[in-house]
Amino acid sequence: MSDVARTARPPTDWNAAPMQRRIRRRYAAERRFRLLGLAALLLSAGFLVFLLATVATNGLSGFSWMFLTGSDATEPARVGIWGALKGSLLTMAVTFALAFPIGVLTAIYLEEYAPRNRWTDMIEVSINNLAAVPSIIFGLLGLAVFLNFMHLPRSAPLVGGITLALMTMPVIVIAGRNAVKAVPPSIRDAALGVGASRIQVVFHHVLPLALPGILTGTIVGMARALGETAPLLMIGMRAFIASPPGGISDPATVLPVQIFLWSDEASRGFVEKTSAAIVVLLVFLLAMNGIAIYLRNKFERRW
Amino acid sequence: MAFWPIALLIAGLGLVAWLAARAKAAAFARAPQRRAHSLPSYHGWYVALWAAIPALLFLLAWTNLSAGLIRQTVLASPEAAALPDFGLRRQAILGEARGLARGDIEQAFQPQARQLAPVYVDAIRFYSLIGLGVAALIGFAGGGWAYTRVAPAFRARTRVERTVMATLLLASLVAVLTTIGIILSLVVEAARFFAAVSPAEFLFGLNWSPQTAIRADQAGSSGAFGAIPLFWGTIFIGAIIAMLVAIPLGLMSAIYLTEYARPVVRRWMKPILEILAGVPTVVYGYFAALTVAPAVRDFGLMLGLPASSESALAAGLVMGIMIIPFVSSMADDSIAAVPQAMRDGSLAMGATTSETIRKVLVPAALPGVVGGVLLAVSRAIGETMIVVMAAGLAANLTLNPFESVTTVTTQIVMLLTGDQEFDSPKTLAAFALGLVLFLVTLALNIIALRVVKKYREAYE
Amino acid sequence: MNALAKTAAPAADAPATPPKMRARGVSVFYGDKKAVADVSVDISKEHVTAFIGPSGCGKSTFLRVFNRMNDTITSARVEGLIELDGEDIYASRMDVVQLRARVGMVFQKPNPFPKSIYENVAYGPRIHGLAAGKGDLDAIVERSLKRAGLWDEVKDRLSESGTALSGGQQQRLCIARAIAVDPEVILMDEPASALDPIATAKIEELIHGLRGRYAIVIVTHNMQQAARVSQRTAFFHLGELVEYGETSEIFTNPKVPRTKDYITGRYG
Repeated sequence: MSDVARTARPPTDWNAAPMQRRIRRRYAAERRFRLLGLAALLLSAGFLVFLLATVATNGLSGFSWMFLTGSDATEPARVGIWGALKGSLLTMAVTFALAFPIGVLTAIYLEEYAPRNRWTDMIEVSINNLAAVPSIIFGLLGLAVFLNFMHLPRSAPLVGGITLALMTMPVIVIAGRNAVKAVPPSIRDAALGVGASRIQVVFHHVLPLALPGILTGTIVGMARALGETAPLLMIGMRAFIASPPGGISDPATVLPVQIFLWSDEASRGFVEKTSAAIVVLLVFLLAMNGIAIYLRNKFERRW
Repeated sequence: MAFWPIALLIAGLGLVAWLAARAKAAAFARAPQRRAHSLPSYHGWYVALWAAIPALLFLLAWTNLSAGLIRQTVLASPEAAALPDFGLRRQAILGEARGLARGDIEQAFQPQARQLAPVYVDAIRFYSLIGLGVAALIGFAGGGWAYTRVAPAFRARTRVERTVMATLLLASLVAVLTTIGIILSLVVEAARFFAAVSPAEFLFGLNWSPQTAIRADQAGSSGAFGAIPLFWGTIFIGAIIAMLVAIPLGLMSAIYLTEYARPVVRRWMKPILEILAGVPTVVYGYFAALTVAPAVRDFGLMLGLPASSESALAAGLVMGIMIIPFVSSMADDSIAAVPQAMRDGSLAMGATTSETIRKVLVPAALPGVVGGVLLAVSRAIGETMIVVMAAGLAANLTLNPFESVTTVTTQIVMLLTGDQEFDSPKTLAAFALGLVLFLVTLALNIIALRVVKKYREAYE
Repeated sequence: MNALAKTAAPAADAPATPPKMRARGVSVFYGDKKAVADVSVDISKEHVTAFIGPSGCGKSTFLRVFNRMNDTITSARVEGLIELDGEDIYASRMDVVQLRARVGMVFQKPNPFPKSIYENVAYGPRIHGLAAGKGDLDAIVERSLKRAGLWDEVKDRLSESGTALSGGQQQRLCIARAIAVDPEVILMDEPASALDPIATAKIEELIHGLRGRYAIVIVTHNMQQAARVSQRTAFFHLGELVEYGETSEIFTNPKVPRTKDYITGRYG
């Protein structure tokens, strides 16, 4: 050891006044930091409360029988939400019918069967990228491909549903893969051991066990699609529709777009109707998320 | 052709095939001599698939083919002789007649269309019947052939499983097709736009006023497509103002939740933050326009700054609130991923909790946090409704947050809503903007995921 | 057995100077589970004290009582008296931050911060404000690394990341980091269990070198190691202190049959 190592420092005097002052300062900083964190958290939650309270106080007076059963109108007193709600339900039906099977099958393929090669990599990269593409880009895709190239009907839940399905599918795939991955290999081995084929292993054993997780992911994805506005504006679902759509190829509007359209109206009466429509939309979303959380808690399984 | 009768027909055909084949297979499955390779239901599925899939494929091809045949038949009819030879009028009349015949529209403006409509009705019915007939024949033929193959030694399960595998692969191709569809539609339309407007002008021009291009014969019809003010507005709102709100609030919330909060608080506050992420953007937009924007304007005027009712600050603030949960959940993950040993190491030196957080945990978690922020930025610049409703349309190049700016997504919506001609540079510009947006968000995501992945590897 | 443990502690022939740290009747609970039961031990400044015992016997838990690291585990609760220089460290007026600066700790797995080697060592002096200036800090870093026997290996790459070192070097860096705040006691929780034999030998050599300057407590499940580095040994079993005394005594002539069984390899 050299000289530096040998030279002894006087032992630290922790009770010296400067050291005590320093420690008090450090504790003060600690309290400040902690308070700052709490403030940030409360502020973030406060925004949510404020937003919900604003919407609720503005909107609750807008509810009436007519509002719940009617469609769009030019006068705020006569507008209703049923037309848009039905449009949303039809659109969601199309989205679910496409995104759920495709998403689940893709998840199963990638997790259980896909060979490790460039082709599979391409599928995976596509899915991860699609999950991050801004929603409005899907609207551009819908406009260019479904309306201008394939000539599907404009403003229809059919096209809206397909567009949102392309957006929702990656969410379902990612959730589905995680759910399938969580099923322990021992179950696969057990099934293979009694002579089941690889298809039987998946459809008889893995899929039923992964289903709660897949459903949770699906509901979350569907909730996001239900609240989506921008891509539907692109494919013309912003028309003034005075009667509820009869089918998936009729012109229709959806809840979020209806909110957007009413929010643009100058007439004061639309404020309460817009807020009421938001309340309807949020009730649906909260219900869906509630179901997802319930499913997650009920079926969460630790292997 | 109507959708439901066909679906019913095919499903019925399949069901009959399934029942018949299963019954046949069940009969020999009971026989004692030797065990059949596959269970009866697999034989059922095998035959049902053969009955349904070829018929479906034929019908798909037929719907495309028959449109042309129908058109030819109609044009060959004596009623069509009076049609004008070429051009838009001829197309319009045919289109209306078809619409009348299919019940899409109730009235036609062109009198000739009314005469042609019955011809169309006949032709459509004729070809539909042919199509249905042939489809049924193909179904029976396919099903019948498959039925003859049902035998104890026949490996029905293997065949059915091969079909299932093909379906799985097909399903996973949808994602690739969608990606290709997005890239193609953006690139093709953007290329048409760049044929009219030079890319240099688009990317570096300072003047954006596409409104003049409504009619081709108007003076100054080409409009001005310099997108720099849009890019600036997007960055100003999404990458600057929103992040100034979201990063401190999100990061500090995450730190409080992971390092200070009692488990009960954590259990309640995390879902509440998640709800913040689940609120639809149109609701945020409404909130921004109705509540935040007027307050921001008043505040700006109070400061003596030029302030407009639609401001960058209002949109950016609300967008920041929307982004908080993204930043906080990414930060939460990254901080939680820092090994407990780091915390212990620092605390055992006599560091306070906040010193441990600031000097050890946050620096260690920094790559993860940065990745999360990049993802949040990508999310913010792609966000549409808040800016459409609260940021305004004026393409200003300004540093004053109380003034109105416009963004890429706002302009895409404005350019494409309403009934423009699809080929005008104005509508095509939206696709060029979309292409830029797509490339930038893609690049941000790729970089962010790389950073996050590297960071995860460092602790595994 | 408890009665024996109680009498065993003072029986370890009392050193001339008062003990640096004293534990009296210490119990630690995790929720309802008792992990350490009624343990009394004296830690003297002159000696290296080893805690041995089969895994899960509570020796590591007990070690963490001496610098209150158990505070970081919400479910953990400590009963009994622990003194540092006659001062109750669980008293409300005791400052945890100061306590941990005076009672340093080295962990089982090397845990250098993801910072440069220099920053790792300078961390403690910085937060406690021990260095008068840049030059002073440099000197502290150099002295600490030298005492930890790492200086010659890293003096040319002080700005490289501490995590880039080998496992043994990382552990010596952690020891240098602990030394840098000039603690009075160093607690080592199985400091060599994650290391290869050569690195382990270096750590043991280092502990020899540090003896006398700091009171050192080392937890180990390796009996040879305890025999090599320590002068006092405490044997724990099932949360209880079975026997405490001179290391040579414990290893050659254990008084309690359980200690003998463990040392002769009958279980553990």
